[in-house]
Amino acid sequence: MSEAVATPARIKRLIVESLNLEGMRPEMIEDETPLFGEGLGLDSVDALELVVALEKEFGIRIRSQEIGREVFSSVSTLSQFIEGRT
Amino acid sequence: MLTGLGTLGASGVGADRLAEALAAGRPVSREVDRSAGYHPPEGARRACLMPAVQLGSWLSAGEARRMSPPSKLAVAAARMALRCAGLPGTQEEATAVVVATAFGPSTNTEVLLKQILCEGPESASPSLFMESVANAPAAQIAIAARARGPSLTVCQREAGPLLALGRAAGEVARGRARRALAGSVDEMTPLLHALLDRFGALARPGADGQEAARPFDRRRNGFLAGEGATMVVLESEEALRERGGRALARVLGWGSAFDLTAPVTGWGRGAGTLARGLLRTLRRAGFEPGDVDLVVSGASGSRTGDLLEAQVLREAWGKIPLPPIVAPKSVTGEYGGGLLGAAVLAAAGSAFGPTAGFEETDPELGIVPHDGSPLPPPEIVLVTSLAAGGAAAWLVLGRA
Amino acid sequence: MQRGEGTGAVRRVAVSGVGAVCGMGWGVASLWEGLRAGRPAFAPLRRFDPSRHRTRLAAEVGEPPAHLSRAIPGWRRLSIADRFAVFAAGEAVERAGLAFPYPSPDEVGVYFGSSTGGMYESELFFADLLRGRRRLRLSALASQQVNGPGDAVARHLGVAGPVETLSSACASGALALAAALDAVRCGEVEVAIAGGADSLCQLTYAGFNSLRSVDEAPCRPFRAGRAGMSFGEGAAVLVLEPLERVLARGTEPLAELAGAGASCDAHHMTAPDPAGTGAAAAVEAALADAGLAPEAVDFVNAHGTGTPLNDAAEWRALQQVFGERSREIPLVATKALVGHLLGCSGALEAVATILCLRYGELHPASNGAEGYEADPDVPVSLVTGEPLPLPDARTAVSTSLAFGGSNAALVFSRWMDRAA
Repeated sequence: MSEAVATPARIKRLIVESLNLEGMRPEMIEDETPLFGEGLGLDSVDALELVVALEKEFGIRIRSQEIGREVFSSVSTLSQFIEGRT
Repeated sequence: MLTGLGTLGASGVGADRLAEALAAGRPVSREVDRSAGYHPPEGARRACLMPAVQLGSWLSAGEARRMSPPSKLAVAAARMALRCAGLPGTQEEATAVVVATAFGPSTNTEVLLKQILCEGPESASPSLFMESVANAPAAQIAIAARARGPSLTVCQREAGPLLALGRAAGEVARGRARRALAGSVDEMTPLLHALLDRFGALARPGADGQEAARPFDRRRNGFLAGEGATMVVLESEEALRERGGRALARVLGWGSAFDLTAPVTGWGRGAGTLARGLLRTLRRAGFEPGDVDLVVSGASGSRTGDLLEAQVLREAWGKIPLPPIVAPKSVTGEYGGGLLGAAVLAAAGSAFGPTAGFEETDPELGIVPHDGSPLPPPEIVLVTSLAAGGAAAWLVLGRA
Repeated sequence: MQRGEGTGAVRRVAVSGVGAVCGMGWGVASLWEGLRAGRPAFAPLRRFDPSRHRTRLAAEVGEPPAHLSRAIPGWRRLSIADRFAVFAAGEAVERAGLAFPYPSPDEVGVYFGSSTGGMYESELFFADLLRGRRRLRLSALASQQVNGPGDAVARHLGVAGPVETLSSACASGALALAAALDAVRCGEVEVAIAGGADSLCQLTYAGFNSLRSVDEAPCRPFRAGRAGMSFGEGAAVLVLEPLERVLARGTEPLAELAGAGASCDAHHMTAPDPAGTGAAAAVEAALADAGLAPEAVDFVNAHGTGTPLNDAAEWRALQQVFGERSREIPLVATKALVGHLLGCSGALEAVATILCLRYGELHPASNGAEGYEADPDVPVSLVTGEPLPLPDARTAVSTSLAFGGSNAALVFSRWMDRAA
C-alpha cells in the first residue's frame, strides 16, 4: 500500500483509539467529515490529544501555531499537512 | 438540612446496597490485581473494591468519555443524591460543590507519570492530565449539575469527608449558597494498595488466612482499603420549606483539630488535644457528650488509629458512659466515603448489624463496638474521623 | 442550621504578618524588591532536565539561606514544597509578633492550598519504581499528598486547631484564605495561618505543556501575541487575626482582608467561560462580602496567566463588574514576574496585593525593557514599565480563576490608622 492511501486510514485509527470514541470504527469516519463542531463534535482537548498521537505515529513535531481550524478541519486536511511534513 | 444521599462502593450502587451491607455487618472485599508486581509478598491481597458497574443510567457515554474513574463515580453519586432529594439534575441557583479526596485520580496520575518518565514528557496525554488533578471530580459535578456556586476540593486524607461536609454546611449557613453538593470520592488502584501496604497501613492475612478490618479489636492489624463515592445534598431550611421537600437528617455542627504528635503517615498520641476538639465541636452545636445517642466512628482497624480514637472518646466522655458505637469502615473499608454514607443512614434511622471483624475486646482500648442488637433511632449522632498525619474532623447530625 | 454564630456586626479581620518565597528569592523583602523593579524571575529550569519538555523556563526558587536547614527541625525529611511552606509561615508569624509555640494552640488553625504537594519527590520514587529498582525509598512518598505542606506548617508551629488543605488548582490559595477569613470571623480560631505552597514537578510541567498552555518565552499577560503561561513555584503565608487583637498587642496590621467570594464556571474542564460570568460573580460576591461597591476598588491584581483565553475571559469579567471603569482601573499582573505558582498563586498574589497597598505603589508587569504591545481586544490599564504610584489606594481585589472553572476573589483594604 502506498503512503498516500495509508495516511488517512492511519489518522482515522488514531482518532478512534486516542480519543476513546466507543462504538466508532475508523471506516465510519469520512475523509471530509468535519472533526470539530458539527460532524464528530470534538473539542480543543481532543485536538491536543490527537496531536500527541500524531506526533508519535508519524515521528513529527507539531508546533502550537499549527494546531488550528484549517489543518484540523478534517481527516483530509490533516493528511495533507502530515504528508507535507514527512 | 441533609436532603439527598447518593453512594457507590464495594457493596454496590445505591444507598440501599450500603444499608443492607451495614445491617448485615457484612464487608465486601475482593482480590486486588497484584500482577504488576508492586505488592510485597506476604502482604495484603484484598480491598473493598467496587464491582464492575454500569453507570450508563447516571452518565452518558459522551460525558464519561474522558472522565477519570473518580469523576465518573462522583458525578453518578451527585446525580443520585439530587434524585434522592427530589431535585432536578441541573441547578437554577448557585449551588456549591465541596468534594473530599484523599488521593485524587490515581489511575490517571499513574498513567501520566509512566508516560512522562518512561516515554518522555512529549507523550503526556492532555486529557489524562486535565482529569488527574484533585479537583477534577468537583469540576465535573459542577459541569454536570450546572452548579455555579463556590467549588472546593478538600484534601485531608481520612478527615476529608467530614471536613467537606462542614465546609459545605458553612457555605449554606452563611447564605453563600442555598444548596450544596458535598461528599467524598477515591479510587483504589493496585499501586496505591501496594504502597499503603508497604507503609504498614493495611490488614494482612491472619493465622486463619483471613484479611479483615477489625475496629477496636485486640487482634486488629490494619484497615481494608476501599473506594467509591458518596455525595449528599445540603439545603437551607428555608429553601427546603419553599420547595416542600423532605430531609434525611439535619447537620447540627462540625469541627476539627490537629494532633501535632502524629507522624506524617500515621497516628499520634494527642488524645487530649483531640478530645478538646471533639468537645468544642459538640458544645458549639449546643450539646454535651451525654446528649449523643450514637457514635458513628471512623475507626478502621488501624492499630494506632483505633487506639487514638478510643482514647479520644474515653477522654471526651470521661465518667459518662459511652453511647453505642458503630464502626462502618469494618464493612466499607477506608476511603471512598463509606463512613459518610453510613453516617447519613444512621441519622435517618438505618439499622446496624454486629461490627464485622470485632471478636475480642482490646483491654488497652476498652471499647466494645455495637453488637447488632436493635437500636432506637438516634436523635443526635456524632461522626468521627482521625486522619493519618494528625488532622481530625467531627460532624454532628440530628434526626430530620 | 445553627452553629452558635453571633448575630452582631461582622468581625474585622487583619493581616498581621506575611511570608513568602518564590523565584524572586526567600522572603518578602526579595519579593517586593523584584516586583518593584519589574524584573521577571524566569530562567532555564535546573530542578529537572527540561530538554524533552516543550518549554524550558520557570521562575524557580534558588538555594535556601544556609541557616534554615539548622533552624528548622526535620528539614531534611521535608519535601521542597514543605520547606517553602514552613519558611513562609515562620516569616509571617515573626512579622505578626506572635511567639510559637503559641500559648493556646487550640485557637490556631492552618488553611492551605496546594496542587501538587510533594509530587516532585514522588516522581523520583516513581522513576525508580517504573525502572524496576528493587530498593525503594518509601520516605520519598511520605509527604506526597497535597496536604503535606499545610500539615508541615501545623507541625512546625505546633497548631492544635483546625488544619485543612484545599486543592482547587489555581484557586487553592485564594480559597484557603477565604476559608481562613470565615474561621476568624466566626471565632472558630483566633489566629489563622493561611496560604499555599507548590513546587515545580514534571507532572504539571509536562501536563500544562501537553495542553499547549505554556509560552516558550516569559508570559505576557494581557499583551498582544501572548502565547501562554509561565511556571513558578514557592509559598506564601498570611497570618489572619481579629483586628482588635492585633491592635491590642500593639502590632500594626499590614492590611485588612475585607471580603472573599467564590463561584464556578461549570463550563469546561480546561477552558474558562469566555463570557467571564463566573469570574465576575466571584468578584461581585467578594465585594458584597466586604460591603463595598465596585467604585471603591482602586486596583485589581489579576489572575492574568498570559494564555489567550484566560486574559480575554478575565477582561470580560472586569467589564461586567466595573463597567466603564474597566479600561481605566489599574491592573497588576504578578504572574508576569514570578510565573504561575498553581495552588499557591492566590496566596502569593494576595501578598503582592498587600504590599502594593502598603507601599502605595503598584508593581509593573515588566521593566519596560521588552516592547510588548497592548492587545486592542483586551484594553486594560496594565501597570507596566515602572511602578505606578497610588498613595491613596485603599481597596484592591485579587482574582484567581482556576483550571476546572473554580473562581475566587479577595478584597483587601489598606490599613488606615484609626487615629487618622
